[in-house]
Amino acid sequence: MTPHQTMRRIWKMRHAYAFIAPFYLLFLVFGAFPLVWSFILTFNEWDGLRPMKAVGLRNYALLLRDQRFLDAIGNTAVYWAANVVFILALSLLMASLLNDRRLGGRHAYRLVLFLPNVTATVAVGLVFRMVFDYNSGLINGILEALRLPVLPWLNSTGLSKVPVMVLSIWRDTPWYMLIMISGLQTISPELYQAATVDGAGRLQKLLHVTLPGLSPVLFFCFIALTIDSFRIFTEPYILTGGGPGSSSLSIVQYLYESGFTAFKLGYASSIAYVLTLILLVVSAAQVIAFRNRGSVVEEKTA
Amino acid sequence: MTHTRARVSSLISIASVFLVLCVGTVSGQSASSKPYKAPPGKMVIWAFGQPQFLQMQLDDYFARNPAEVEGVTAEVVATSGEEEVRQKTMLAVASGTLNDLADVISTFPVSMQAMSEAGVLLDVTAYLQPFKDKFVPGAYDQAYYKGRLWALPRSLRPQLLFYNKEIFDRYGIDPKEMATFEGYLSVGRKLKSASNGQVFLSYEDPASRTWRYWGRRGLLPQAGANIWGDDGSVVIDKDPGALKALHFFESLHKEGLLLNSGILQPPLYEATRQGKVATFYIGAFYDEFLKANDKDMEGKWRVMSAPVFKGLNLGGAPVVDIVAITNKPNAPYAELYKRIWYDYNFNSPARQAYTLAVLAKNGPVQNPLSRAMLDEPFWKQPDPYYGGQSFKQMEGLGLRNVSLNMRVTTADAETDTLISAELEKFVANAQTMDQAIANMGQVLRDKIGTAPANPDKK
Amino acid sequence: MNARGGASRAVTHVVLIAWCVLSVFPLLWMIGTSIKPVTEAIGGLGSMIPRSPSAANYARVAGLLPLARNTLNSFIVAVSGTIITVFLCSLAGFAFAKYSFPGRDALFLFLLATMLIPPEAGIVPTFLIMKRLGWINTYWALIVPRAATAIGIFYMRQYIASFPTEIMEQARIDGCSELRIYGRLVLPVVLPALAAWATIAFIARWNDFMWPLLLMRSKDMYTLMVSISILPVSEGLSTPWPVIMAGTTIAVAPLICVYVIMQRYQVSGLTLGAVKG
Repeated sequence: MTPHQTMRRIWKMRHAYAFIAPFYLLFLVFGAFPLVWSFILTFNEWDGLRPMKAVGLRNYALLLRDQRFLDAIGNTAVYWAANVVFILALSLLMASLLNDRRLGGRHAYRLVLFLPNVTATVAVGLVFRMVFDYNSGLINGILEALRLPVLPWLNSTGLSKVPVMVLSIWRDTPWYMLIMISGLQTISPELYQAATVDGAGRLQKLLHVTLPGLSPVLFFCFIALTIDSFRIFTEPYILTGGGPGSSSLSIVQYLYESGFTAFKLGYASSIAYVLTLILLVVSAAQVIAFRNRGSVVEEKTA
Repeated sequence: MTHTRARVSSLISIASVFLVLCVGTVSGQSASSKPYKAPPGKMVIWAFGQPQFLQMQLDDYFARNPAEVEGVTAEVVATSGEEEVRQKTMLAVASGTLNDLADVISTFPVSMQAMSEAGVLLDVTAYLQPFKDKFVPGAYDQAYYKGRLWALPRSLRPQLLFYNKEIFDRYGIDPKEMATFEGYLSVGRKLKSASNGQVFLSYEDPASRTWRYWGRRGLLPQAGANIWGDDGSVVIDKDPGALKALHFFESLHKEGLLLNSGILQPPLYEATRQGKVATFYIGAFYDEFLKANDKDMEGKWRVMSAPVFKGLNLGGAPVVDIVAITNKPNAPYAELYKRIWYDYNFNSPARQAYTLAVLAKNGPVQNPLSRAMLDEPFWKQPDPYYGGQSFKQMEGLGLRNVSLNMRVTTADAETDTLISAELEKFVANAQTMDQAIANMGQVLRDKIGTAPANPDKK
Repeated sequence: MNARGGASRAVTHVVLIAWCVLSVFPLLWMIGTSIKPVTEAIGGLGSMIPRSPSAANYARVAGLLPLARNTLNSFIVAVSGTIITVFLCSLAGFAFAKYSFPGRDALFLFLLATMLIPPEAGIVPTFLIMKRLGWINTYWALIVPRAATAIGIFYMRQYIASFPTEIMEQARIDGCSELRIYGRLVLPVVLPALAAWATIAFIARWNDFMWPLLLMRSKDMYTLMVSISILPVSEGLSTPWPVIMAGTTIAVAPLICVYVIMQRYQVSGLTLGAVKG
């Protein structure tokens, strides 16, 4: 389009710009400044009280050699993988079971199943800490009753990630289930009926009706889950404090530790930017993967 | 004529001397001359660790001194810990107006040092120096930085040894054996064999508290250890005291004498209640936790001074609770807070009444810092929780032979995390103590390099 | 066919019930612990049922915190925040989904990109901005910055993408303004999404404690979660867990009410498919 045509198009669609404007305005005021400020901070050393000291790229160089940071990246990747596998599968399963309009007690089920997400993570974190306790926890109590060996869930370097994963899956599945349910509702029942008429079994309905229809929402879930998983903080913080050693430490936990326990704010900022970079790469991969399914860029527009 | 003039002049000189003496004496005391009135407004205090009792103390002072505080309210803002106070301070400073700062803040030495360098705190050296000898030794130690005093001590709690007398009676072990660490270890062995492994000498925390309570505040100071040399270099992996302390902990762990359970958490309180844990080598503050969470164990516990390393004879290092006055423009409530602090430390009847009120609410009671007050019978009263033993008195004794806290540097917040990480791996049996010690040295050199040199080297 | 349907129905119920038990179990523990007296055992198999239940812990929490005021703060922030964000996000999501305008894809990808930045990094500068605006210790600081969130817009866009465009065309020919099309046509149909997102947004704002902790100065401006989260974390504090559990149970109760209310709207009477017909 010529510039003139573009201008006319913009004017014609001014309502669209008006609708999306609030977000960008808010971002300009509350988002842009922190972004730039913390980026500049990554090239400095600052403890919050004494004057800043410019150190160039030293924070990034240190990060690359920082074993604790590398451990945190590894741990967080494990959390992400576990989340993607279990949460998406479980939430889809639960959502499809609950979407059946003939199922008795649907609303009661939906209420109860959503409860994990309603309570504050801090509270359930404490409960899970009790449950996984080595000496008097429920899990070990059951294992003992079954004559199985008890395991050091929270106090060994090998197993410390497990309670964190269990808590995060337990707590987040309902959230995604809710999103999936709303997505399933956009699929017309006629499509299912047509499929039945064509002789399709459950699996085929799933693959050819449900998944394609759910595609936009699925894309949302993938991205949201990735971002959420990489940003995991409260679960490991409450359950294990990141330890023993650094065996369950997450990236954001390390960010918080560097910034607000060790008061190395420049270093913390660089952790944030490296995290952003990681997320960018992973999300970009997902956008490309989903692009082929046509759910990112919409064809039907007015 | 000369005679009269001489008499007059001598009268005048006597009078003036007398006047000077009067004025001099009067201005040396806090509250006896011209009545003090604090400027009307709100005095804000940022505190942590059961600040509702601090509020009680302020309210009590205000009630007793209405003329001084007319038009003034005091608000204690509860925060989740020292880090949060530091964050709030940092934000106030960063936004450029010191007016946003609280008037008074609870803090720790590591932050106090940084804050003093940033000009955020009021220098209280001149005010505090006169009282030094009236206090127990060590009261001021952690408030010194670069030769000046930056905070007012509020309490000093020594390291003590809590033991479950019932367990010792049952197995016929004499608690006095625990006067030395060598004896402590052998008591642990005896308990283990006599009870078939059911009873543990003590606990070990799988997270950061092992380093905090066993290491930094316990074994290391008592062994005369150092993390940093005076020039700021890393010495923890070579310092004989540090090695001695850490290897001692290693033997406790390797012989299976410690129950792996997080301290200050319910599972350990339960194990304690079930008689699985015989002793706690920890600061006096643990008294309040025992009473709150193992209330039903009243009468079973006793307390004694911390064990010592044979030949070194250094008692435990005390945990100091310090409160700093911020350097706000005009510091409006500095004077008021100093008075409140003075009253808390030297006004015996008021202190006793306040203590009783706190006890009635199951709150923490702090031993007085002033030696004169410590000697009063009120602080030697028997405590039913300890079977009639006076906890306060034992705590007072614990303050008599203290070792110095290890030097705190501004790099210490990060240092503690790094050292603890290695110790945690040891406790989780993921590495040996020798590996842990070597790693500590290496990690500290890698990430911190050198700490600031000791500005207060004696 | 009926026998197979019956069997698969039974399996469905078993699975759902099993998952319900797992979901609810920790919460029951939380409530059970909150009514136990402080000295009763919390751990171990035998502690499932409280032996001498009492409401003492709740009284204690009420005594330690200005509960009423904190709850009010939480409500104000959560309710207004939710209403505003659902409205603005759905509007923007609608625009991205249903309009084609120059720069749309680039703007949308930019929006997605902003989701990647961890907010923890921006604590100090955000504080400075709030200071400049004079919003420290006010409700504005908590409501305005998240009035339109990227993730909300993202969700709404994905959901509204399935709305049939032809109907909009028809309405436009009939002379409806865009806003009316949005309000009269689209909104009723996407109500389930709005209800779902409103629930999520409300819960997120209610449970949030990082920002209120940072931006509120005085006890009576704290939200409920902040007050409660101060209970266990403080260094010298010896609040026993049953008391903390009582606090968190109190904090959860309003959320469950909100969820129950919202659930009605999540039932879609009209699927988009039905609209088509």
